[in-house]
Amino acid sequence: MIWIIAWKNIWRNKVRSLVIILAITLGLFGGVFSSAVMKGMVEQRIKEAVSRETAHIQIHNPKYIDNNEVQYTIDGEAQNLEQTLDSLPEVKGWSSRIKFQAMANSANAGTGVMIYGVDPEKERQVTEISAMICDSCGTYLNGEKKNQIVVGEALAEKLKVRLRSKIVLTFQDQEGTLTGAAFRICGIYRTSNSVFDEMNVFVRKTDIASLLIMNAQEYQELVVRLSEPDQVTDVQEELTDGFPELLVRNWKEIDPMIGMMADLTAVWLYMFMAIILLALGFGIINTMLMTILERTRELGMLAAIGMNKHRIFLMIMLESVYLSLTGAIVGMALGYFLTLYTSYTGINLSSFAEGFEKIGYNPIMYPYLDLNFFITLTIMVICIGILASIYPARKALKLNPAEAVRSE
Amino acid sequence: MNIIEIKDLKKIYNDSEVAVHAVNGVDLSFKQGEFAAIVGPSGSGKTTLLNLIGGLDVPSEGSIRIDGVNIGELSSRKLINFRLNNIGFVFQSYNLIPVLTAYENVEFIMSLQGYDKDKRHSRTVELLKSVGLGDRLNSRPNKLSGGEQQRVAVARALASKPKFILADEPTANLDSKSTSNLLDIMEKLNREENITFIFSTHDQRVVNKARRVIQVEDGKVISDEAIQSP
Repeated sequence: MIWIIAWKNIWRNKVRSLVIILAITLGLFGGVFSSAVMKGMVEQRIKEAVSRETAHIQIHNPKYIDNNEVQYTIDGEAQNLEQTLDSLPEVKGWSSRIKFQAMANSANAGTGVMIYGVDPEKERQVTEISAMICDSCGTYLNGEKKNQIVVGEALAEKLKVRLRSKIVLTFQDQEGTLTGAAFRICGIYRTSNSVFDEMNVFVRKTDIASLLIMNAQEYQELVVRLSEPDQVTDVQEELTDGFPELLVRNWKEIDPMIGMMADLTAVWLYMFMAIILLALGFGIINTMLMTILERTRELGMLAAIGMNKHRIFLMIMLESVYLSLTGAIVGMALGYFLTLYTSYTGINLSSFAEGFEKIGYNPIMYPYLDLNFFITLTIMVICIGILASIYPARKALKLNPAEAVRSE
Repeated sequence: MNIIEIKDLKKIYNDSEVAVHAVNGVDLSFKQGEFAAIVGPSGSGKTTLLNLIGGLDVPSEGSIRIDGVNIGELSSRKLINFRLNNIGFVFQSYNLIPVLTAYENVEFIMSLQGYDKDKRHSRTVELLKSVGLGDRLNSRPNKLSGGEQQRVAVARALASKPKFILADEPTANLDSKSTSNLLDIMEKLNREENITFIFSTHDQRVVNKARRVIQVEDGKVISDEAIQSP
């Protein structure tokens, strides 16, 4: 019955209760939607980084990571490794890459780039670069023509080149001799990360292997795409155990900034909501204190007729929790529906596209929140409700029933 | 047998520079079925005496035994529980819970005692009928007159099956018709069900109905008189 009385009590002064409920609603609505935008941005960045830049897992000769030189390849174990990857059901696709640094020069300008020598069909199963080439921007290493290259839009602008322009790549072969070749641009891609676009070019592995004087079975990097992102740790462990002489890293280890961002966002979102709830908690304390002050005589009567302190505390705590939860549920529902709506339509911030792309973010955001966030938030709201009731409840418990029942 | 025995009861307030002896050496006893009024001018100590008997205040000296239990020796927790199961209260300002109906106000005290819903229901309806409010079960206090609210308060006080009921100036806020009605109901309960009522009052109409009148002045009992029924 105390549960029912507590619920009825919060509607005694409708205006006052609605004011605090509205404050909680707006606070939670704003907090939930802001969190969804932040989470969506980060998730999107991670998804794009994994699908276009890092893949889920990368495997290297450990010396290559230390020295970045072309002679440190995966060679002896390559066949075994590929067979193992083909046998793992979690693996959606894999691609071996010849990877090295070079100078790219056009008739107008030159810059340092990272060259990826890939098997186009294999690479399509792992990264989405081929899908980042617009209809009028060429193709992804299609056809039989030799020495084709796919460059990023930012690099094309920097080198002042267009589709079908030639650029000259200069680099050292495996023996340390300076070499180079002219490549014709067959496709220009554009991701949401202009820094990536400016740095990375893709050529056929067969075209570049002979220039590097490399065996066609050798490569510096093998990238793996999994069916489900949460299988990363298991597959990484399996590959590390199977190939202890190779360095097997997951996407968080490959790009620590992205990894840290993923971990920090989870913590930050809860801290952000905790700050909002803490501020609202003081509003709840104030409302509850006014309630206690107004009901001094009634609380005295309840104590007099034999309602023990535990029950009085429970009643006040429930009132505080009901106030918090009512506002929170409405606020969370509004936040959820706006998140759901904008997760389909996206939030278009194209006017700030240049800035966003320079830091690797897509200017069209898709807010996102998972069920765990709402469950944790509900628990946090209940905790704040309980905490906010402690001080008013202590005041109520200190009342002398004999004096309280005669108070005006 | 006495249900209440008070021995050399004192209550001294030291809040101000001069100690106030609100109750100053009272010896009293009450038997089952009494209909007693404690009377006296304002500040005479009658409300303090009633609060001490009800366990709402702690004596400075002396003892109060209810059915042999010295309530001054009970812990705060046990005292609350003792009040719940042994003492009924009727307050001057009715003190009903405004968000509950008459029915729920009466039922509430039995839910605190842990009675099941069926038992609570039958007793609540029976009690409200006995105070003439059988047709107002679902009315909230703001829809009831002062007299009706005080009758709900009496039903509530009876709900826990207490050993006695303490009523602190129960008619102070009532008009004469409501006062007469309320007194008739309490007198009927007293005569027919042998329920003990102890009032503090300065209302002559209550004094006229009482079968024992205890006069209090300066914290002392100056007269204790049994009145013969007409």
